[in-house]
Order: sequence, then structure tokens, then C-alpha cells
Amino acid sequence: MPARTSPLDRAHRALGARMVAFGGWDMPLAYPAGTLAEHRACRAGAVAFDVSHLGTVRLRGPGARDRLQRAFTNDLDKIGPGRAQYTHLLDEADASVLDDLIVWWAEEDRFDVMPNASNTGRVLDALGPGAQDVTAERAVLALQGPHARRRLHPISAEAAAVGRFRVAVVKWRDAECLVAGTGYTGEDGVEVAVPADRAQELWSAVLDGGFEPAGLGARDTLRLEAALPLHGHELGPGITPLQAGLGWVVSWSKGPFRGREPLAAERERGVARRLRALAVPGRRPPREGQAVLVDGEPVGTVTSGNFSPVLGHGIALALLVTEVGEGTEVIVDARGTELAARVVPTPFVGASEPAAVG
Amino acid sequence: MNIPDDLRYTSDHEWVRVEGGRATIGITDYAQDALGDVVFVQVPDVGATVELGATVSEVESTKSVSDIYAPVAGTVAEVNTDLADSPERLNEDPYGDGWICVLEVGDASQLEGLLDAEGYRALVDGA
Repeated sequence: MPARTSPLDRAHRALGARMVAFGGWDMPLAYPAGTLAEHRACRAGAVAFDVSHLGTVRLRGPGARDRLQRAFTNDLDKIGPGRAQYTHLLDEADASVLDDLIVWWAEEDRFDVMPNASNTGRVLDALGPGAQDVTAERAVLALQGPHARRRLHPISAEAAAVGRFRVAVVKWRDAECLVAGTGYTGEDGVEVAVPADRAQELWSAVLDGGFEPAGLGARDTLRLEAALPLHGHELGPGITPLQAGLGWVVSWSKGPFRGREPLAAERERGVARRLRALAVPGRRPPREGQAVLVDGEPVGTVTSGNFSPVLGHGIALALLVTEVGEGTEVIVDARGTELAARVVPTPFVGASEPAAVG
Repeated sequence: MNIPDDLRYTSDHEWVRVEGGRATIGITDYAQDALGDVVFVQVPDVGATVELGATVSEVESTKSVSDIYAPVAGTVAEVNTDLADSPERLNEDPYGDGWICVLEVGDASQLEGLLDAEGYRALVDGA
């Protein structure tokens, strides 16, 4: 099956982007500035990511809310129309996280659910008839960084004003966009779903407005510094929300949802492993799949690891047996080299102070 | 794509500069571009002996980790210690300041198996 491409595919190639296959899509890995420069631009200024590979599954009508309540772990009663919520879709059999996603509650009876690219089918299946895959109709730009709102303000003051985890329908040059105060970088910013045929126009406007283009390489190092999980790494087969340390995503008070029983059973008996953060003093990062040891005994596995451009040393996330808590000194077997690491609190890097708007 | 005429190359995208009985090695412009931003280089120990094709260095980028294979058997005579703090030199100057190490060549006949610039260019163009 040929890879899907974003409505902005030509724009990326014209900018000289190196493209990469991701979740069935062909998306920018990095632009000529490179991942490290793009990363730093997001921590210090403002960057634009094309995240059109995220799915959009639309659910409308009076029954939509109840259907989402039964499908996902979080409780929509905590929010309301005009708000966004992070939530999980679980496997009914073992409470593994089938997808982690954000629900954009656009209007009273309209929800836009944003799964990971390759998990859109699972979310459609879980929501059943009436759930509509509208991914091809729009592009999504993630505008992130401490200066993102200030730079977006002259382009769309309305979009720049959408608060954290708020959602608003915004008209931009007569194109109806949906804007959410969300992102995946640990920085302030918004994500804009723009009709596909207007995506190029908005992309040009944000680049002209001072946003630096950034690719999936920087998106990955940014989310890792923020200790945000990536499905297929920190979440996936055999990994539950409780193991990932994301118990707050699960509402036990709201009634039935997919995977509730096996998850409740795990809560009862206690989790056997927990997602932890590791820091090494040197530049060499632990990498996914490498074994973590204490006193020569295996205690878990690295799920993601990379160099932290902000901290200047290696950082990683790892699933470790629960006995290994913060402050513990561990060894990572990095292809035969022993890397001394310490279990540290998250996030590795906190958000920068956003610049004043206007 | 910069492929200097005076160097020899391997099909693993390493370059070799042969001077007397010594071979300086590094990664090519093509390799550094494909790897993306280099964040760490594990250089070998001076005095270590390496077999032809054995891992002599590891290069980590934001994207992946890659082994660098000895293009010729020999003894490690020098390593680029500046890479410990400035691994980005592999990106900025792959054929110059981004050199990785120098081998004292053990068996000069192995050098005959290396590609010349023309051969390497054909390999990259076909990649």
C-alpha cells in the first residue's frame, strides 16, 4: 500500500525536508536546519509541525457523548463542549492501551477524536457505526513554543487566544478551522485543523509569520524531554495505563468502559512494572529495547531513549519493576557498554515561560 | 553530495585516507546526511587491534545508532578526542574535523578492496 501524504507534502519537499515513513504516512523527519536546531527553536521560539498524519474521527449526534464514555477511559463529565481531553482506548481482554488520543469536544453534539495515525481503524471500530473518518478532509498544524501565540496573533487573534485544553471553531480567511490548545512538546501552543484545500495557505502564513518548520525527529526529542508517552513505545500491547503511570486518565467513577474489568483486576493486585524516567550523565543515550539492570539482575527495558538537546545528556523512559523507584542507580546495557543511569522524576524539561501576546 | 577524489570508500559509507602505513577513517557526507544530527561518537581505545570489518566506532544520531566498521585490519594509532564534546563535527566537516580515528594498517593488501571516488559515487547514485 503506498504511503499516504499530507496536503502539505509538496511544501515540505520544496523546503528540502527529509521524509520518513511513519504510521503509514510519508512525513517530514527534519528540514535542512536539522532536528537539534528545530528542537531548540521550539523550546526558545515558535515552530510549526505538520501533524496531518494524526487521524480525525468525527462523531455527531445526541448519542455521541455516551458512546465515547463507554469506549474510552477518561470521563467527559470532567469537561464540556469547547474543551479537549486526553484519554485511552483499552483492549477489552487485558486492558492494554490500544491507542492514546485526544478528544476535541467541538460543539454540544460534535466530537473530533484524534488517534495516532496507525490506530485510526481501531478507534473507528470501537466507536461503531456513525463514526466518520474525516482525516483526508483536513490538515493539522501544531504551532508550539513559548512564542507560538505571539506569532500566531497577527495571523489569527482568535486562534492565538484558544487556551490550554480549550477547543474553538475559528474562521480564518473564511475557512472554518478547529483550534485546540493542545500539543505534544511540553511547550505552550495550539493545534489547528484546517480544511485540506486551505492548508498550504495557512502553512505559508505561519512560516511567513516567523514559525520555523519542525519535523518528526524534533517532535520525538521534545516529547521525550517532556516525558510524554508515544504509542508503540511507552504504550501498546501488554502495557496498561496504570503501568504507564497514567492512572489519572482512567475514571473509576463514571461507569462501564472498554477494558475496565481487566484494569480493575490489575489495580487490585498491584502493577508489576512502572514507567520510569532515566538520566545518564554522558551524551550517549540509552536506546529502546536495551536491558536495565540492578546488581546484575534485569529489572526492565528501555522504551524510548535519546539525547536531550536542552540538558546535554542522555535521557530515557523505561518500564521497570515497581521496586525500582526514583533515586535508584541502575545500569543500562547499551550494546555491551554499561551506562550508569539514575531513576529521576518527570518531566526531564519543564515548559518555557510563554511570551506575552500582542 | 561531496565525494572527494583523493579518498577511498567502503560500501558502508565510510571514507579512508591512506598516508604511508596509516589510514584515517570517518563517515561520508552521504552518511552524515542520512544519519541526521550526530549526538555521540564512541571512539576506540588507542592501541586496540581491530580486524577487518569489526566494529571500530559507534555513531549515535537523534535518529539511530550506527556501527562503523574497520575498513582494514590494524592497530588504533590515534582517535579524535574532540568528538567527545563536539560530535556535531561529523555533520559539519565529515572529511576534515569529523575524522574518527587513525589505524596503523596491518595488511595493506586489504586497501585494494576499497572503492575509489568514482565507484563510491556510483554506489550512492544507485542507492
